[in-house]
Amino acid sequence: MKILVVDDDLLAAEMTGAILEASGYQPLIAENAIEGLELLGTNPDIAMVVSDLNMPLVSGIDFFRELREQGRQIPFILLTGDAPDSLLQSEPDLNACLTKDFDLAETLPSIVSQLLHA
Amino acid sequence: MALDIKKFIHRFIDEAREQLRMLEEGLGQLGAQNGDSELVNSLFRAAHTLKGSSRMLKLLSISDTAHSLEDVLGALRERKIGLDDATRDLMLEAVDNLGNLVEHLASQPNPASLPEKSVSLCQRLSRAASGDAAAPLADTAEFAPAQPPTETRPGPMLRSADSVRLKLDSLEQLIRLMSEVTISQAGLRELLDDARQLARNWDATSLHSGNDSRLFADYQQLYQNLRDLIGAQESLVQNLHEQSLSLRMLPLTQILEPARKLVRELGRELEKPVELQILGEDIELDRLLIEQLTEPVQHLLRNALDHGLENAAQRQAAGKNAKGLIRIHARQDGGWVSIDISDDGAGLNVDKIRQKALRQQLFTEEELAKKSSAELKNLIFLPGFSTSSLITELSGRGVGLDVVKRNVEELQGMIEVTSTEGGGTTFNLRLPLTLAMLRILLVEAGNHLLAFTAQHVVEMIYVDEQAMLDIAERQVFVLRNEFIPVFEPATLIGLPEKRSGIRPKADSRQQLMLVLQVQHEKIALRIDHMVDERDLVIKPLPAHLARQPLVAGIVNHDYRQLVSLLHAPQLFSLAQRSRGHTRNNIHQPDKRLHVLVVDDSLNTREIEKDLLEAWGYQVTLAEDGQDGLNKARTGDFDAILTDVEMPVMDGFTLTSHLRQEERYRHTPIIIITSREKESDRRRGIEVGADAYIVKGSFDQNSLIDTLKVLLG
Repeated sequence: MKILVVDDDLLAAEMTGAILEASGYQPLIAENAIEGLELLGTNPDIAMVVSDLNMPLVSGIDFFRELREQGRQIPFILLTGDAPDSLLQSEPDLNACLTKDFDLAETLPSIVSQLLHA
Repeated sequence: MALDIKKFIHRFIDEAREQLRMLEEGLGQLGAQNGDSELVNSLFRAAHTLKGSSRMLKLLSISDTAHSLEDVLGALRERKIGLDDATRDLMLEAVDNLGNLVEHLASQPNPASLPEKSVSLCQRLSRAASGDAAAPLADTAEFAPAQPPTETRPGPMLRSADSVRLKLDSLEQLIRLMSEVTISQAGLRELLDDARQLARNWDATSLHSGNDSRLFADYQQLYQNLRDLIGAQESLVQNLHEQSLSLRMLPLTQILEPARKLVRELGRELEKPVELQILGEDIELDRLLIEQLTEPVQHLLRNALDHGLENAAQRQAAGKNAKGLIRIHARQDGGWVSIDISDDGAGLNVDKIRQKALRQQLFTEEELAKKSSAELKNLIFLPGFSTSSLITELSGRGVGLDVVKRNVEELQGMIEVTSTEGGGTTFNLRLPLTLAMLRILLVEAGNHLLAFTAQHVVEMIYVDEQAMLDIAERQVFVLRNEFIPVFEPATLIGLPEKRSGIRPKADSRQQLMLVLQVQHEKIALRIDHMVDERDLVIKPLPAHLARQPLVAGIVNHDYRQLVSLLHAPQLFSLAQRSRGHTRNNIHQPDKRLHVLVVDDSLNTREIEKDLLEAWGYQVTLAEDGQDGLNKARTGDFDAILTDVEMPVMDGFTLTSHLRQEERYRHTPIIIITSREKESDRRRGIEVGADAYIVKGSFDQNSLIDTLKVLLG
């Protein structure tokens, strides 16, 4: 199953990708939201988006809003370096919001599988 | 969990070193002005990235320290705090501390063995971020180390950097040498050709005795080896040359970053609120160009603020946003960069320009009436023109737009202005990315070798001798609905006649034309043949010849010959001058009849004008149907000549509009077009034209005769 990973920090993107891969998913990596949109266009079978929040030009939140505006209801997990609570409050439609933390290797796969089976 | 994310640690170390190097450099540049929000932003991002990836790797002391640093940079970015030396030093201390931690990790890639963070450093960073003055070094907690120093404590050490500083001189020397290598490589290529020719001739004699044929085989083997080696070397030399040239490239940011500050300050000074938008600042140009572009760009920006933008009250009255907008838009186009500097101000006032030209006695009223509005707008580049109340220089800088134009042309570039009344003005600069190497066409004309920059060459075309027209004592041919005047290069630039044994092909009914364009004007040079087209190194003229306006530089053709690179704009002014001579023998009738010429091609207008003037007519020019209609309504013309295909309003529409005007109901209207179809001809007559002349079969006598007949 394909999952789109968007992060301007390529190292973080690859680490996130590696976590997903270890859980049996196929990560596709984009460096920014525009590249992400392109990948979504060329890979209609992408089942979920995992995006960093803090990116130049288009932030993760803007990317999420853009997707919803385009009518794409694809599950969206936002990753952030900071505390996630205030974000979830400002954008309650987000499917999940996770801290980019060393326990991401456990939290991310479990959230992904929850969302996919919801 | 199956994944060991720790295998990313080595990647992290590499990237962390890079981020820290950037932070260190950036903090140094973050001068007292603190106005550079772009830089603060990029430093903030570096700290943020460092924090994020270290956290995922559970490198907590790095992550926490980076987090504290990020907080300070975030506060700076949001202007909650200002930057003083103490804060900068504190941040540099954090960078050094992070560097030590990263190097420790590099020597022992195990997150668990990473030293604890410096609590005091993080506290001081937090305090700085919240606006408390950075704690003085005398803080008691400062010098009490959390743990006694041990072997494992990371100390300062040399880090390898991925960039070095070097002397500009050595760089230039390197590039100069590299250019010489390129030229001598071209020499090798030539010698190889000679060697091949020798083999052919040798083979052709076919008088090989046994020994000779052995020798010949050896020679051929030698030739082939040489060829392979030179071929391989060719691509190496080329790569090397490109690489060495790229060392000189700098991003446009170098000019455009200071531009932000300039615009902000000027806006305050002139009390014009303004926003500056910059696009494409990462395009890289030759350092030399960057240096020499600074002045012109600043001048154009000053100009845009001072004269382009209206003041806030005027803007609001015109229904615009009170805040003016200045846009710099750079685009790369092959080996060229195009920079638009535009404002959304009032636009150029063509009437004021006309009056000003009149006042300065640059042109007579009659001459001005003949100019199209685009031509009038470009008058602002004339010497002395822009230094008055119309386009004054700001704050006493005695530089006019003529200097800007000259600077740009000296850089092998072009400048042009377009503007719409009320909608703003745009200056377009077009420049090569590098001056060291340009795409060059080498041609031979009258046994002289001449070089042209490819930028100015629109096309090369064979023209049938029969297609050449004589108009107003000039040779002209029609190229897609446009008259192109033809010149002999040697005569134009005053080269001595040079005869050689080789004559141009006897069958010269087909003439080869090199069509050049500068701005909207085109001329054709008759040439014998094209010799070569390639990227060549341009050598500047030696100092004592540097004031030659016609020669832009020197190129090497093979290794034996130097060829002058001609400066196209100068050729055009020579062409203009040579045209002046033909205007002497004017037939002077008693009453000068006034003819309106409407054509969107500058060349065609000018040539028709010359022809008509030579026959004693007074001529006014218009650049499209609408322009023609306006001029016809305000003037009084005895005849009208119009093209068909033009922007805004075509010639058919113009004709039918004119026929509805009482004054022009019976005035002769002649359509001159490249459309040969019978249906077009019929349409022309239907809308009320008196004659229809096809440009391809243009004959000056027929036009003059037609006019005479129609005018009675």
